[in-house]
Amino acid sequence: MLRYITQRILYMLLTLLIIATITFFLMKLLPGSPFNNQDKLTETQRYALNEKYGLNDPVPVQYINYITKLAQGDLGYTFQFDGRTVNSLIVNGMGPSATVGFEALLFGTIVGLLLGILAALRHNTFLDYGAMVIAVFGIAIPSFVFAGLLQYYVGVKLGWLPVAFWNGPEYHIMPAFSLSVGVIATVARFMRTEMLEILGTDYILMARSKGVSKSAVIFKHSVRNSLIPIVTILGPMAIGLITGSLVIENIFAIPGIGEQFVKAITVNDYPVIMGTTIFYSFLIVSIILIVDILYGIIDPRIRVAGGKS
Amino acid sequence: MSMSERKLTPDLFRPANLNSDKAEEISKPSLSFWQDAFRRLKQNKGAMLGLFAIVFIIVFSLIAPTFTKYGIDDQELMRSNLPPKIPGLEKIEFLGVNGVDIRDVNQYEMKNVPKDDYFWFGTDSLGRDQWTRVWKGTQISLYIAFLASAIELIIGVVYGGVSAFYGGRTDDIMQRIVEILYGIPNLVVIILFIIILDPGILSITLALVITGWIGMSRIVRAQIISLKNREFVLASRTLGSTNGRLISKHLLPNTLGAIIVTSTFTIPGAIFFESFLSFIGLGIQPPIASLGSLIADGFRSIRIYPHLAIYPASVLCILMISFNLLGDGLRDALDPKMRR
Repeated sequence: MLRYITQRILYMLLTLLIIATITFFLMKLLPGSPFNNQDKLTETQRYALNEKYGLNDPVPVQYINYITKLAQGDLGYTFQFDGRTVNSLIVNGMGPSATVGFEALLFGTIVGLLLGILAALRHNTFLDYGAMVIAVFGIAIPSFVFAGLLQYYVGVKLGWLPVAFWNGPEYHIMPAFSLSVGVIATVARFMRTEMLEILGTDYILMARSKGVSKSAVIFKHSVRNSLIPIVTILGPMAIGLITGSLVIENIFAIPGIGEQFVKAITVNDYPVIMGTTIFYSFLIVSIILIVDILYGIIDPRIRVAGGKS
Repeated sequence: MSMSERKLTPDLFRPANLNSDKAEEISKPSLSFWQDAFRRLKQNKGAMLGLFAIVFIIVFSLIAPTFTKYGIDDQELMRSNLPPKIPGLEKIEFLGVNGVDIRDVNQYEMKNVPKDDYFWFGTDSLGRDQWTRVWKGTQISLYIAFLASAIELIIGVVYGGVSAFYGGRTDDIMQRIVEILYGIPNLVVIILFIIILDPGILSITLALVITGWIGMSRIVRAQIISLKNREFVLASRTLGSTNGRLISKHLLPNTLGAIIVTSTFTIPGAIFFESFLSFIGLGIQPPIASLGSLIADGFRSIRIYPHLAIYPASVLCILMISFNLLGDGLRDALDPKMRR
């Protein structure tokens, strides 16, 4: 197990290094420099600026500097605000992003589990079909479309909830809900299949014939056993949440990392793009690593194969 | 005893039809795998509905732009932001297609639009016909999705096939590469590539392909590894089949089911990513439009002109749901073991 984990961590570091390298050289490929457009700068000033940001060094030196700094967790300075680091932008954005993500995950998992369990227990009834229709819709409809429509109908037309911004608990409801739709759908679908499989096993029949109460059969024997493989969908779900947060934060004007990222793209703030890219990659790669390790602990038969979208 | 009253005479018996040729004859024509799969697919109402909707949208996206006389970028500021108006249906108040906007002003009368001019989905802020733009946008979204999926399919099948078929060291090296690429979040790569390549149809397709083929290659590899040790492959090999024949006659046809199922899921995935990119401003650039860019434009003015976002969003949702339904149906029909 230890060897497996070490090997996986090495792979993870290699992946991150490759991502950082690709990001760096892609950014270098872009024509121009951040200070070329400012006509007012004299040659000396431009030289000084380039010197300050280390842009006068040859590319390999810049690369080494960049990677060394990265290894120390320093992502450089943003071009948008004077003297602010990318790290501070990410740290500032982390709060709202993590809050929305966590709320969506919590709400989505609970509702998804309930839907999935109910659908399996009432297999082939109206409830089952209803739950599966919700699941297909939830998987198919892009979260930004859902968020936009929700914002329009609930926020603008009905006026029940604030349309955007981030000023209090009631501002969390719509973004978290739009983000959780995908989670609900994935969890519900997964739970239903697992539950159906387990409800058909011999040990459930055995428990029933022994006279175990209905609730004990459902909660102690079926639900608990169906929950084990749910680890497999954690990875894809986390990636989906991160992807979704990019647009959800923009639609609802939440000051999170996703909003920073999209804003950086529109104003060509390369250090921020690079920094957030690496941050996101780190996040996703670590989630996949944790999921794979969890997987190995829960089910020792699976060691090398991993599940991802 | 009643039994003894009935005498068993030879004329009560008839020789059984023991013709051994007839005995094993199967009365119904045998179904091939594909016929059987299609029969199962036809029973799945959701999948058939999805298939129908997809065909409908594809056909409509090709012919619908010719229904009106306006091109995709025919601007006319005099008729900007008109709400939808459909001949015939305009009499029915609650459908909201009578050319009256949300403030109960008939924009068509206010802007002096000729009486027989109808904009079925309204017009956008530059006075371009939304109907033409929505269907042209659908065309482009579908084009990107199909193109990306086709390239992904080819690369994935070749890579996975070679890796699985030759095995050993080749497989080791190829899988190590995949493992590293697999760890890179596709969203990040796609966004980076778009930034470098300048948004456009081809660059979006390329960006989608760069990470998209990995899933396909893994599925093909797993299938071929499990197939290549089966008896029928051994038999064929013993009879002297060449590698080429083994691959083309035995391995690929048996993998086709999984390939088709995977493709039906990569297509909506590509549609989603394309619209997602367009939505955050990295996708299709004006004057052409895709569903994603139309939705993004529409959401900007959704408070006043909801029609601009609602129609492309509906088409996108129907398309995504249909592909998912069809994919689920195909998976159940082609590979009952993969059921989820």
